Amino acid sequence: MSDKETKPGKTKVVLFALLLSGICSLLITASAVGLKGFQEANMALDKKINILKAADLIKNGTPAKQEINALYDAHIREVLVDGQGNIIEAYAPDALNLYFIQENEVIKGYIIPINTRGLWGKIQGYLAFENDGRTVSGFSVFSHSETPGLGGEIESAWFQKNFKGKKILNSQDKFVSVGIAKGKAENLPKELQSHHVDGISGATLTGKYLSEGIKENLMKYDSVSVTFRQKDLKPYKRP
Amino acid sequence: MRITAMSEEKERYIDIITRGIWKENPVAYQILGICSALAVTVKMSTALVMGIALTVVTAFSSLLISSMRKMIPSNIRIIAELAIIASLVIVTDQVLKAFFYDISKQLSIFVGLIITNCIVLGRAETYAMANKPLDSFFDGIGNGLGYSLVLIIVAFFRELLGSGKFLGFTVIPQFVFDAGYQNMGLMVLAPGAFFIIGLLVWLKNSLPGISKEER
Repeated sequence: MSDKETKPGKTKVVLFALLLSGICSLLITASAVGLKGFQEANMALDKKINILKAADLIKNGTPAKQEINALYDAHIREVLVDGQGNIIEAYAPDALNLYFIQENEVIKGYIIPINTRGLWGKIQGYLAFENDGRTVSGFSVFSHSETPGLGGEIESAWFQKNFKGKKILNSQDKFVSVGIAKGKAENLPKELQSHHVDGISGATLTGKYLSEGIKENLMKYDSVSVTFRQKDLKPYKRP
Repeated sequence: MRITAMSEEKERYIDIITRGIWKENPVAYQILGICSALAVTVKMSTALVMGIALTVVTAFSSLLISSMRKMIPSNIRIIAELAIIASLVIVTDQVLKAFFYDISKQLSIFVGLIITNCIVLGRAETYAMANKPLDSFFDGIGNGLGYSLVLIIVAFFRELLGSGKFLGFTVIPQFVFDAGYQNMGLMVLAPGAFFIIGLLVWLKNSLPGISKEER
């Protein structure tokens, strides 16, 4: 330091440290608390966008806010189901939440939330199914903390569109889930190809955790898929 | 410090900025900020976001720290600098989350990478603590731009060689792949960035008449 000053006394140093931490924490707290409302509104909208993306209702680009809300209200119904896959009205401890994709009061499919660990933090996303309870129709990522350009590619369109059409049951109708391949899915044996999507080079671990997470979540929601396989569900009307 | 005319003042700022971009480039000359240069240069788009974010943060943290430099006690100065930088970044992130949600989503992991980036602390410690606020501000901009320049060059080669793309658009035509060309897997991974940064440092230091006299 070029500034000539006398070495400050201990009290001055402590006072400065206290004052600085006080001001800094005040600033951070104020911005975090004061802006919370705006942030939550943004997050809620982003959640809707990603649900719509998984449902394949947003093709490309991000539409305006009103359009998103209109699309969401027209096609998506959030429902709670119990352990047996029956729709319930009130919250129960073992209830699972999912979303129906409806068109003209006909259930086209359903979306389950995916919550899993990634390499650096939680990955939250949505996996959509057709109403046969076995075919994946879309995937989207709502939040993650993977490395941009590597694991972060899970939020890119090329990765997500590969989920479309994959099956969670094998030819014997046994549950096998969908996973992320190491490298290209086309290099896998034929019987595995319909259960795997292309991996991301440089992000083997993200793929591994995401595969595990999808499997875990699918098992949790197995009753829902079974219900869809067995019978046609009636469209859910808001009470 | 003598009173300078406007044009001289301007010239000095330009000199400070170009020094950061070229002569004393933070990555190639000061060898700072290497970790983040590895992490975000797989794609051009992330490199650009990181470059802009770091330039803004370095400029304003240098400005702030420089204007407080007479008050900060020397024996706790590094902690104080870091507290100021971290608060500044977090507050900015909160504001972005509230009003520019898309940008903040893109920044995601970068926020942490900015706070821990040695360039921010390095410029605060070596420049802002000893110079006038406006000089420090331009020094921050210069260093941020120098860092961005390296990121962009590295990202250009990594994206082109690693995935055959530029800014997400495929630029290597299909017939080249049909002829047997393959994307270089090494470029997607961290070692690829090491090689390119190493070559850049070598190139910069071997260019005649530049940076030799600074040593």
